[in-house]
Amino acid sequence: MEHTSLAHHLILAGLLFALGLTGVLVRRNLLVVYMCLELMLAAATLALVAFSRFNRTMDGAVLVFFVITVAAAEVAVGLALIVALFRQRGTVQSDALTTLRD
Amino acid sequence: MTAFIANIDLAFKTLAPRATDWQSILPEIAVAGLALFCLVQAMLLPKALRYLIPATARVGLCLVIVMSLITPAPWAPSSDLESFSGLLRQNLPFAGVRAVFLFSALLTSFLAAGFLRDRKAAVADYHHVLLVVTAAFMLLAQSNHFVTFFVSLETAAVGLYVLVGYLRRSDASLEAGVKYLVAGGLSSALLLMGIVLVYGSLGAVGVADSLNFTQIGKILALQTAAHTLSPLTLAGVALILGGVAFKLGAFPFHAWIPDVYQGAPTPTTAFLGTASKAAGAFTLVLLATGPFAPLAVKVGPLLAIATVLTLLVGNLGALAATDIKRTLALSGVSHAGFILAAVTATVVVPGITAYDYNAEQIVVFYLLAYLAGTFLTSQALVSLPAAEDHRRPQLALRGLLRRSPMLAASLGFGIGSLAGVPPTVGFIAKLLVLGLLVKAKLWWVLGAALISVAVSIHYYFSILREAVVRPSDDSEDLAPLEISFSARFLIGALATAALLGGLLILA
Repeated sequence: MEHTSLAHHLILAGLLFALGLTGVLVRRNLLVVYMCLELMLAAATLALVAFSRFNRTMDGAVLVFFVITVAAAEVAVGLALIVALFRQRGTVQSDALTTLRD
Repeated sequence: MTAFIANIDLAFKTLAPRATDWQSILPEIAVAGLALFCLVQAMLLPKALRYLIPATARVGLCLVIVMSLITPAPWAPSSDLESFSGLLRQNLPFAGVRAVFLFSALLTSFLAAGFLRDRKAAVADYHHVLLVVTAAFMLLAQSNHFVTFFVSLETAAVGLYVLVGYLRRSDASLEAGVKYLVAGGLSSALLLMGIVLVYGSLGAVGVADSLNFTQIGKILALQTAAHTLSPLTLAGVALILGGVAFKLGAFPFHAWIPDVYQGAPTPTTAFLGTASKAAGAFTLVLLATGPFAPLAVKVGPLLAIATVLTLLVGNLGALAATDIKRTLALSGVSHAGFILAAVTATVVVPGITAYDYNAEQIVVFYLLAYLAGTFLTSQALVSLPAAEDHRRPQLALRGLLRRSPMLAASLGFGIGSLAGVPPTVGFIAKLLVLGLLVKAKLWWVLGAALISVAVSIHYYFSILREAVVRPSDDSEDLAPLEISFSARFLIGALATAALLGGLLILA
């Protein structure tokens, strides 16, 4: 514990968050995009736990449980949608999503 | 050890919900119960009696509407009722807030039942998710703590992903669902990071509960006065407001709107346009005039710029769009701009009023007016048979007047109210917002709003022209449209409300 400070945790969380954000914006495979979204949520969770530990307030740790629950529900619905899309179209590349246009 | 247990015991006794707490969220509990009842019915009823499911949902929603309107002084500017130890707080004109969500769910149910039956999709599940989302929105609008805020926002978001991608055999619906999923997931990740940053940076200075809106407001006021705001806090506030702007569909987070509105099943499009936009509007009012009010000097100009750009982007996009659902989606963005304008006015000049109504009441009224217009227009769209889904969308409404004068009237009243033709509610609502802008002396925003009213007349009436004017190259002969009794009743009630509602408000 003596070797790590709040800053270390926050830098790691920031890096993970940036990594996820880059993935969402750059990658074309919807499954990978979705994993990157979850990575962003995980990064926020890490920062939350770190703040909770170093500020000595419990609220953040409690919010973490809610975030994990919400993320699980989101994954269930999200994967269902992506699987349904794959069955209908045979691909999960975002370039192939061109039905909706003017 | 015993002292520790005694402490916990005391904490539970002081924090335990009281009977009045549960009473204050009775309508929300009733809607959630109704949602579960839909599923129970789907399990127990034989196939021949399934038509009862939407009927019970509607009767239930009507009862809840009556229940939430017979509170003392339902249209009071602010009830300010705190419950569940500060987790919830009803400090908006709350009967109006509930009415927006409940009417939106009720009207969506009217649109959805026939629409889904024609496309061979389950009606019970749709109603279940619809009611869960409605209850979540109603809790979101009274959250006073970032835990309730985040959980109810996400409950609603996950439900909406289901409703958008509901037609599993339709390319358009699935594509819209996935696009909404990615855009929504991104916005909630940014929002959560914002919450974490605010929590962390304010928790470091010894706030007892730095997720509670009231406490955040207090500490931000102190820090603003002492010029000790940390950049981390400001980044967090910006991310949170961005997440809310996504819900509202305001610039620069409006990019998802045209695709998702176009691809979603039409009843879901109407629900997204009204309830989801309302949720964004109410949370923005809650945050901008509550915990973030001390930052008005920074937030005000930001909101003003976002308002002007939202109005311009929405109207220019709607002018360029040819698909009718896209046109309506982008015109919805410009309506979000009007709501943002009202919020901006109350952030810049706290407690501002126009024609004796405060900005919160005007936001509620604007949303109710927009709701009437949207559902009248959507009624005309959902009444087109499923067999015509493949027709070129810009031609979808061609010859509507000959096929069904009732639907053409519905479209006419809806478009008239959305465009703001006097004396419809849409006109009065826009007048109230313009009144706020004049009083707040936001001339730039006022100019953008006036230009957008003028521009919107053009694209709204080109939709109407398509339906009314008989084209010269009339090779297609389309069958007259049958509309049900409930649809006739709905059109009559909404058209009356659209025509007379505004006069009631000014009287």
